[in-house]
Amino acid sequence: MASGEIFFEHESWGRNLAWSAALHGAFTLAIIIYAWIAGSGHGSNWGAGGGGSAMGVTLVSSVPLPANPVQTQSVLASESKGLSQSKPQAQVEEPKAIPIPEKNAKKKPAPQPTATQRKPQPQPAEEASNVVPYGEGGPPTGHYSLFDAGGAKGGISLSGGGGDFGSRFSWYVRVVNQKVSENWLKYEVDPRIQAANRVYVTFDIDRSGRPSHVEVEQSSGVPSLDMSAVRALQRIDTFGPLPPDYSGSKVSVEFWFDYKR
Amino acid sequence: MIVCRNTIFIHSMFHNALRRLGLIAVSLSIWVAGAAGANAQDWIKTGTGLGVEKIRIAVTDFKASSQDPKNTELLKTFNDTLWNDLSNAGIFEMVSKSFYPLGQIGAPADVKFESWSAPPPNAAMLVFGNMGASANTLTMQGWLYDVKNAQSPQVLGKQYTDTATLQAARVIAHKFADEIIFRLGGGINGIAETQIYYVRGSSGHKEIWAMDYDGANQHPVTTLGTISLSPHISPDGSRLAFSSFSGSGWEIRMFSFDLNRLVSFPRYGGTNLSPAWSPEGGRLAFSSSRSGDPEIYVVDQSGGNLHRITNSKGPDVSPVWNRKTGSELAWVSGRTGLPQIYTMGADGTNVQQMTDQGYAVSPAWSPNGQFLAFSWMRHYGPGAPGAEDIYIMDVASKQWVQLTHDGGRNDFPSWAPDGRHIVFQSNRSGSLQIWTMLADGTNQKQVTTSGANSEPDWSWK
Repeated sequence: MASGEIFFEHESWGRNLAWSAALHGAFTLAIIIYAWIAGSGHGSNWGAGGGGSAMGVTLVSSVPLPANPVQTQSVLASESKGLSQSKPQAQVEEPKAIPIPEKNAKKKPAPQPTATQRKPQPQPAEEASNVVPYGEGGPPTGHYSLFDAGGAKGGISLSGGGGDFGSRFSWYVRVVNQKVSENWLKYEVDPRIQAANRVYVTFDIDRSGRPSHVEVEQSSGVPSLDMSAVRALQRIDTFGPLPPDYSGSKVSVEFWFDYKR
Repeated sequence: MIVCRNTIFIHSMFHNALRRLGLIAVSLSIWVAGAAGANAQDWIKTGTGLGVEKIRIAVTDFKASSQDPKNTELLKTFNDTLWNDLSNAGIFEMVSKSFYPLGQIGAPADVKFESWSAPPPNAAMLVFGNMGASANTLTMQGWLYDVKNAQSPQVLGKQYTDTATLQAARVIAHKFADEIIFRLGGGINGIAETQIYYVRGSSGHKEIWAMDYDGANQHPVTTLGTISLSPHISPDGSRLAFSSFSGSGWEIRMFSFDLNRLVSFPRYGGTNLSPAWSPEGGRLAFSSSRSGDPEIYVVDQSGGNLHRITNSKGPDVSPVWNRKTGSELAWVSGRTGLPQIYTMGADGTNVQQMTDQGYAVSPAWSPNGQFLAFSWMRHYGPGAPGAEDIYIMDVASKQWVQLTHDGGRNDFPSWAPDGRHIVFQSNRSGSLQIWTMLADGTNQKQVTTSGANSEPDWSWK
């Protein structure tokens, strides 16, 4: 039969209870003290610096204004033409060599310097009319020009295209260039990308200056870069009406984006 | 043998067929290309990284086209105004007049392209023309030439006529400058004809005044004899909303330029401040303490259909609409303690905090919807320098730029409609005056000089 033994033994509660209470009390006290120490940073000092870690402190990448002029080497404009090529090599003329008449035909003459002059050095190439003379280059401007900004070189070229829009209305091409560059937000590109291939985007500009039919013609391989390029175009309402002298109904633009972090 | 011959025959037939097909294909492609070529539109190929810089523009003094004695004064006003408008535009690099070749230009025949496009002027664009008065009529002919392109240089050719007064000369100069800026600045209108509305007066008596964007033509709009603050012009320019202190407290008031007087606007009770127009002009947002705690309310432009869109403890003031979409608002809220800038949808949802340190007030949304300009004391509290500066912040990325650095107190920024200029108040000159600057912080210039002038608001067009 089940026998239940009921132990009436009095356990020594007292000592264990005392220890428990003491440790609980000490722990609570420690929490209170910690809260008091750590919490003393609030109050009147709130808001004075220290915060802001959640908000980026980096600077806006595009403010809607054209860039300030690039500092060039030339400071003073002057009338002097300056040199853009090396001085032509001095002509080296061989003295006219007169063959020593042979006394003895058998003796083969030592190889003589040829009678004729050495071929004259080729004249230095004609200075191309659009070369900027050294010392006078401000920012070069023109329809066909080279731009240099931060090491990235590029150019406006009209090869392979049709029509003469670019040569007649280079100022409009400049406007297109500037507006797209202003509206391209580079932070939309994946931050892990350091540099990427060019992405080519094509679009049309109608007579009112509105861009349409934005398409990625050649991807850079980086989807976020392609998207940021298309978004740049979508942000633009108008480039300004097409020049009234232009007879076409629209202009097609092929625009490339070079990304370098 | 016969089989071979047949095979050979078949082969040669095959080859013949192929060749014919090839010929057809080639001729087809030529024809297609020819047709395409005939319809080919023009192509532009260009790209980023090309370092587009400011356009170098040369603006000559216009020549007198008649022998009227008023011409000297009119021409001086015109030339000065045209030069100032173009140099303030922010998109040009003005070629200094000391580099110009000698000889006055009055008509296209006078232009010698090489002397303008080569150094020292090295200009890309040339503005020239003539102007003269005869029998109280002023006639101006102006041209904008691309001097790098001698074959087809004309970009603009305009003629204006008006009465022969100084004000008309100024207006013609503003219009012509705006045309040039519109053409060369990418379809964005110039600001030469815009107005700035502001508060003039010191404690006890403040009225709303208006002036041209360059500080000319300052004149009062209201004469209420009390304190009137925070003027905001409607997008179509026909009405001015402001808050004014009357016997019953601070109320929103409406001034109509069509009727040239105040028009009625409901009173809501409590303190009602800083009305702001939505970009389509149909709604106003303002802050009202009618419920006890200042909250943001939206009403129709006639004052009806009041509804409240914020609901939190702490003051909610200074609302501004997103000028591009009209579906978002930015405002200042003290719900976390010090005033910070927040954005939300026009129905009060989707609240986002934009700043989280210091003391940020007076948000102003840029016309392209991309930036918020505001006044910020980034370091606030005991021991801080106490400087209040204008900052702009990109709304999407929360990146910011500090625009003023002089250590004074700069407040109440407002954007120009071209998105390139900001007007603000500053006490750096010793008294509270109105200043303008480009949106990158450069070219800061004082626009008012006398009295105490504050709270500027730039017109929408």
